[in-house]
Order: sequence, then structure tokens, then C-alpha cells
Amino acid sequence: MNISTQSRLLFFWGVLTAITLIAWWIGTHHSDTSLHPEAAVGLSAMAITLIKVRVIIREFMDVRNAPSKLKYITDAWLVIFIICISIAYFAI
Amino acid sequence: MNNTARYEDFKSRSELDSGEAKYPGQAAMWALVMIEAMTFSAYFVVYTIYYKLNPEAFLRSQAELSLGFGVFNTVILLTSSLSIALCVFHSREGNIRTALRYCLLTVAGGLLFSALKIYEWSVEIGKGFTFSSDEFFSYYYFFTGMHLLHVLVGFIALGVVYYQLINPSRRDQEIIESGATFWHMVDFLWVIIFALLYVMR
Amino acid sequence: MSASQNVAAAPPTRSKLQKLIWNFHNNPKRELWIAWYTIIVFYNIFGIVFFGITRTQPPPPASLTPREIVEWFADNRMGLLVGFGVIFFMGPIVTASTALIAYSMRRMSVSPAFAHTYLILYSLAAVPGMLLTCIVLVVGAMRPDRDPQLMATLYDMGFLAFSGTMGIFLIGSVIWAVAILLDKNNILPKWFGYFNVCNALTEVVVATCCIYKEGPFAWDGEIAFYINLVVFGIYTGCFITYLKAMIEKEDPQVDYLPNKV
Repeated sequence: MNISTQSRLLFFWGVLTAITLIAWWIGTHHSDTSLHPEAAVGLSAMAITLIKVRVIIREFMDVRNAPSKLKYITDAWLVIFIICISIAYFAI
Repeated sequence: MNNTARYEDFKSRSELDSGEAKYPGQAAMWALVMIEAMTFSAYFVVYTIYYKLNPEAFLRSQAELSLGFGVFNTVILLTSSLSIALCVFHSREGNIRTALRYCLLTVAGGLLFSALKIYEWSVEIGKGFTFSSDEFFSYYYFFTGMHLLHVLVGFIALGVVYYQLINPSRRDQEIIESGATFWHMVDFLWVIIFALLYVMR
Repeated sequence: MSASQNVAAAPPTRSKLQKLIWNFHNNPKRELWIAWYTIIVFYNIFGIVFFGITRTQPPPPASLTPREIVEWFADNRMGLLVGFGVIFFMGPIVTASTALIAYSMRRMSVSPAFAHTYLILYSLAAVPGMLLTCIVLVVGAMRPDRDPQLMATLYDMGFLAFSGTMGIFLIGSVIWAVAILLDKNNILPKWFGYFNVCNALTEVVVATCCIYKEGPFAWDGEIAFYINLVVFGIYTGCFITYLKAMIEKEDPQVDYLPNKV
């Protein structure tokens, strides 16, 4: 049990770092260099945020073992936040 | 007496055989985390709206930022989050010396982040971009500045964690986990800032 | 017929007025209740005056030209004079709020230094934070035929005084936060201590209004004003509620100030 908790944390750290490096790749290899918003990059940025923040909350902050109320509240905030950013990004 | 009971509580909690689950740290700290998250969310939505109203100017300025700095800072903070999570894990197991070492590692990560952030600011200011030069940079300095302020408060939280760990008579597991929770909040706020300021176009 | 027998008697249940008079004479916590109700009265007057009568909240744009500023003073002239006249008269009752908060810190197990520092800080806070704004804007409204550049100066002074003095409220919040978090008597809930930290951090944002005249970082901006207002509004509602709970919980026979000199 002890070993698995530690390796679980290490595994998710690896996942988060890998996603960050993917974001770096996306940031430096976007399709065109003109000054226009790119929906693909915008969407990936939001997806990356969603995954990373959820992993941090669930695994690092140990919400996985917390009461369901806390799980709902943190998930709800994250989803509503991403929706608001998406609305602001796509509707203007 | 009380403290020993706490260790057993936490040891069995992860197997969920002690009955109902417990909040990681004080519930009060979670209230702060959600309030801060919502406040920052409001700031981020305002940023996105103003970005879409004037995308060319924002993107021109964003090109002046070094994505490498952002990535490196993110990895540093993620690693510090890992180390404070390991600190909490070891404190639950009773390995206090290991926990203390991880706590100090987290502080070192925070210091490295702060130093790099200040260096990045000096580079941008050197290029002539200050808080009042243009819209994008006002948001850049605002978000990174507010975040750095939270990192500084985070150092106080880590100090409390360290202080709790070194003295067995006053050690309170709840406070240790609350301090860690605050540091994780600092981490995930940075993750969002990185995605919005450095990556999103 | 000793005094203690009077106090032990229950308040008459005949009418609300009877009850009020009995409480005024006999309730051992009456000073605390007078202070608490004064806070309610103050914030209602504050809201009506600043938001309704003078229209200085939400603040008018920081980007107006001197000519538009003269127009603004002319449009709001009577509102400014009457509204701030009321504040000149009744404004100082806000000290009840400071006193009750300082009292809450005296009830805590921490050093009385916290309460004393808070008291000094907030006693000084109302002068630049509220009264200076009122004075300057009334000066502008009183003689509307001044030079527009002068009117613009008065306009800037008024609004920057209001927003720019957040440092006092910031430090005060930190003091209260530390006192609440260190307190072993649990006078106020711990989450409210953390909320004070959040309130303090949000107020840092207001400093940007010295630099920007438009956009979200100006004194009328989304970030420097509106989001801050929401957080501060919720914060004020919370502390008024918690102070009420504190007074209700207090047992005058048993509770006394720690570190009694």
C-alpha cells in the first residue's frame, strides 16, 4: 500500500510533466504565424487545463479519498470555469 | 495521545475501512481554496473577453514571451507539488524526518520558481515591456504578480507545516495537510495561468 | 428588591416596545447589541448615500475629460451635496463596527495587541478612505463654475482617495486573519479567518488604479473594482452575521476578557 501510493503520485507527476511538454510543442508548432486566434490551439489549451487541474486536485490534493461533497464541488467549479472560458473565447 | 490516534485515522483512511471519508486538511482551508479559485476564475474570464476583443495586439505581445520560461516554471511547481504530497504521505506514515526533507524540497522549488519569475520579469522589462506598456502585458504582470503573492503566502503555509512537523507535542496532522492543500492551490492556479497566457491563442 | 432579582426576571412578553425598553435597561449585553445594530444602520445609510443619492458608487469612468467631469458634477450636484452632508453628520457611527471587531479580538486567546493595532488602524482608515472623498467631491459640487482643470483634480482626488487607501483595510484584514487563526477560544470560525486572507489579497488589486485610466485596471474597471466589490460585499455580510452569532453566544456570567488587566 505504501509503495503504491508513492508510485501513484510519481506516475501522475510524470503524466502532468508530459502534458506540459506537449503544450510546449503545441505552443511552438502552431499552424500559421499570423496574428489570429486559433481555435485548435485554444481548445487544446482548455483541454490541457481541465486534465491537469483535475489530476492535481484528485491525486495530489487527495480529493480521491475525500467526501463526495468535495468531489462534486471541485468538479463543478472546474467544469463551470472551462465552460465560461469557452463561451468567452468562442462567442466574442 | 491525540496525535497517535490521528496517524491511525489517516493510515486506514486510504483503505476507506474506517467508515466515512475525511476532508484532506481543514474544511476551512478548502473553503479558502474554492473562494480563491472562483476569484481567479473571474479574472481569467475578464482576460479572455478582452483578448477576443483585440486579438492581434494581444498575440503580437504574447509572441514576446518566452514559452520556455513558462514550461520550466510549470515543471518546477509540479515537482514542488509532488514533494509536498510526498511530505504529507510520509507524515501520515510517521516518517517525520523524510517528511521534513520533502517539505524543505518544496520550499526550494518555490524559491527557484520565484527567482526565475523575477528573472523573467527583468528580461521583459529589459525589452521595454512594463505593466503600463500595453494591454497584454498589464494582464501578464497582474496575473504573475498576484500569483507570486500567493507563492509568498504559500511560504508562510510551508513554514507552518515545517513548524508542526519538528515538534511532536504540537504536531497537528490537519494543519500539515491544510498547508499542503494551499500549496497545491498555488500550483493549479499557475497551471491555468500558463495555459491562458503562454499557450492559448 | 435587589438589582440581581430584576435582571433574573424574564422580559415582558406583552409588546415589542415593552421588550425593547426592558432590554435597554436590563440586558447585560446591551452595549454589544447597540453597537451591532449601529453597524446595520451605518451600512444601510452608506449604501443608500453612495449608490443611490450621490451615484459615486459604482464609480464614474476614470477616463472622462475635464469638460465631461464638469458636466458630471453639474448632473450630480444636489445628490453630492445632500448625500455627503448626511455622511458628514452620521458617518462617524462606523466606529461601532471597528469597536465590535476589536472587541471580538479581545475575546480571543491571542494578545490584546491585535485588537489595539486594529483599532488604531481603522480609526485612521475612515479619514482618507471615506471622509476625504466626501470632502473633496462636496468642494467640487459646491461651486460648479470653477476652472475645469481644477474640477478634474478634485474628481481624481476624490476617487483615488476612496480606492487608493486599500492598504489600511488590507493590513487590518491580515491582523484579524492571524488573530482568528491563532485563537483557541473559537470566537469566530476558522474559515472566516482564511476569508480575511482572501479579502486582503483581493484588495492588493486596487493599487493598479493609480496607473490606468481605462480598462479593467482603472478605478471603475472589472478587475480593480467590480470583482473586488463582490468579494468585499460577501465579506461584510459574513462578518456582520458572525459578530451577531458571537454576541448571542456570549454568556456574561461566564465569559470575560482574557488578559484582564
